[in-house]
Amino acid sequence: MKRSLLALAFVLLTAGSACSGVDSSSKARAETTKVSCPAAWRPGWQKLANRIGAPVYCPSWVPSPLDAKIGGQWSSGASVGKDRSYLAGFIWFEKGSEVHINLRGYPGRTAIPKCRNDEQAGGKRVKTYIPCFADAKKPKTVAGYRVTLYTVNRDADQWHLLYAWRRNGSLYTVSEHVAPPFGYQRVLQNLNKMVQSLVLVRPS
Amino acid sequence: MPRLTRRELLAGAAAGAVAGGALYELVDRLGRTPSRASAAGFPTEQHVLDGVRVVQDDGIEVMVPPLHHRIVTAKLRVDGDKASLESAQKELERTLDAIEDGREPTPAGIGVTTAWGLPYFDRFVPDEAAAHIPVDVRATRAKGHKIKALSHSIRFPSDPRDVVLEANDVVFLLRSDDKDAVADGAKGLLALEFLEPTSVRIGFAGGGFEGGMSLPKRMALAAGIPGADLVPHTSELFLGFTSTQKAGLGPTRIANFETLGYTNAKGGYFEGGTHLALSHIFEDLEAWYLTFDFRDRVDTTFDPGMKAKPGAQTIPQGPRQVASVRNVKRSFQKTGTIGHSASLQTTSRLLRDTRGSDGTHYPKGTAIPHRADFNTLDNPFAWSAQPQVDGMADGPKAGVHFVVFNPTSDDFKRNRLAMDGVLPDGTRLPFQRGARGQGLNSVLQTTHRQNFLVPPRRHRSFPLVELLP
Repeated sequence: MKRSLLALAFVLLTAGSACSGVDSSSKARAETTKVSCPAAWRPGWQKLANRIGAPVYCPSWVPSPLDAKIGGQWSSGASVGKDRSYLAGFIWFEKGSEVHINLRGYPGRTAIPKCRNDEQAGGKRVKTYIPCFADAKKPKTVAGYRVTLYTVNRDADQWHLLYAWRRNGSLYTVSEHVAPPFGYQRVLQNLNKMVQSLVLVRPS
Repeated sequence: MPRLTRRELLAGAAAGAVAGGALYELVDRLGRTPSRASAAGFPTEQHVLDGVRVVQDDGIEVMVPPLHHRIVTAKLRVDGDKASLESAQKELERTLDAIEDGREPTPAGIGVTTAWGLPYFDRFVPDEAAAHIPVDVRATRAKGHKIKALSHSIRFPSDPRDVVLEANDVVFLLRSDDKDAVADGAKGLLALEFLEPTSVRIGFAGGGFEGGMSLPKRMALAAGIPGADLVPHTSELFLGFTSTQKAGLGPTRIANFETLGYTNAKGGYFEGGTHLALSHIFEDLEAWYLTFDFRDRVDTTFDPGMKAKPGAQTIPQGPRQVASVRNVKRSFQKTGTIGHSASLQTTSRLLRDTRGSDGTHYPKGTAIPHRADFNTLDNPFAWSAQPQVDGMADGPKAGVHFVVFNPTSDDFKRNRLAMDGVLPDGTRLPFQRGARGQGLNSVLQTTHRQNFLVPPRRHRSFPLVELLP
């Protein structure tokens, strides 16, 4: 079920129909740290930054056994919407276990995007648009980034914990699926480590 | 070395389970015992617990339930002749008296409720049961044939196909703030020669109404339940909302067989008795908190669009918030969603001002079911005589032992069907099993059900046996 939702989400994002629509109201505080994007991963992130014409974040640490090489063995692809928003996913799964992370960016927009929600009502489909990231917790600072934890997320981030932050008028997110072998607390630790390891890759 | 009988083996194992093991020991360490009022003596009704404290939460009156709960279900190993049954009747009564000896019928003391299943009535006192179990006059009128106040449980539309419809002879519900009181009481019952235990069920309740982390959250965290971190800090129950607000619970005697005139019990053997529906339900906390945002949780627990402050746990459920069939249908047409409370209220609240058989005035919108449910980490029971049949599994799992007193089986059935979108006007809202629009239902998984008759206190032990020829 989750698998098909993920697939659907990727298709929708590529088609530009999901998770779009933002504004530019607040400033990002995050700055790059001294860590560097691993050499084997950097070309994929550079290519993505060039493709959207805006900075992207390369995580120099991701939970084992994943790596963050776009197009690598754990990559589920990097898709770009018509609005230049991107989704880069990395996933590993075995029977009963899964490690899945997503990194997103919404260049030039800082509002929480909307996702399409379909419900069957009285024999007909009711279509609504709801925030893709919900149940925000109190913002906190991690490695200089002012992040907000969202615990109820949609589409490819469903069942994930997600950190969102803003930088120079753009919204960025990193999320991880809460699933064995990682429970809630471990996923939070992983998110903290990923945020601490972020490297800003600018278009060249 | 003497050989143990099957009954002795089962009773010994069950008695070992009633203490609850290391995990449930935490209830005593983690829960603060609330101060309680005294009772004026044992009431006629077994289900009435006096001295229940009322606190204010967000300006709403909330009842503070007992901390500790035990349920013991059993089959009877007793000959069917009158002498044997009367002997067992006396012994059970002595045991129940001993459990209550020196204790008040309050959470500070102990609440003991003994209820009897249809297998008991059918096997031991069939003619007397036919004559004395009250007739549900409302259901009889609706169906056109005689329907008793106690009938078999059914599998409801949202129930899994493998839900176990149990056939116990008797169930004992013990409630107290004192863990030893409920554990010792259960042990006393399990020592009775004529009881062959079938299950022991353990649980707890208690909100963080005085601030601090609530007992369910602490217990879920201690047990490592997935989703425990997301349970609100002071939540009374795992699912994040206060369930025992005064206006949402039936007043103590409204659920008596005779009070609302739903049965012909007035003046009869079972006047002062009631009906008990018992079920066990798993709760998927992770799905609830990771896939339903606060707005979704309010919409599907109460009513779509209901106003609620962000993070609120106690949402008003008084007569003014009662939903009608029309409201529920309109919400469903518009949003594909029904509220758990709203759909239930179409059958569980009084449609007009009503004077009870004892002269009490119950205003329109008053709740009828008198709930006594509590959270558990049983999986699905603390102990079972039939582990395979009951699906016993290792490790703790979040759930609820749902205990509710209604005037009749049919009344419970109407409520439970409404929760599944089968409304009292005959409308059946087209939900798929587990549909997200049913909110709560989609994260609940019922494993067991049975209906019981709760006699008045004077007949709590082997009811009707003294009437055998």
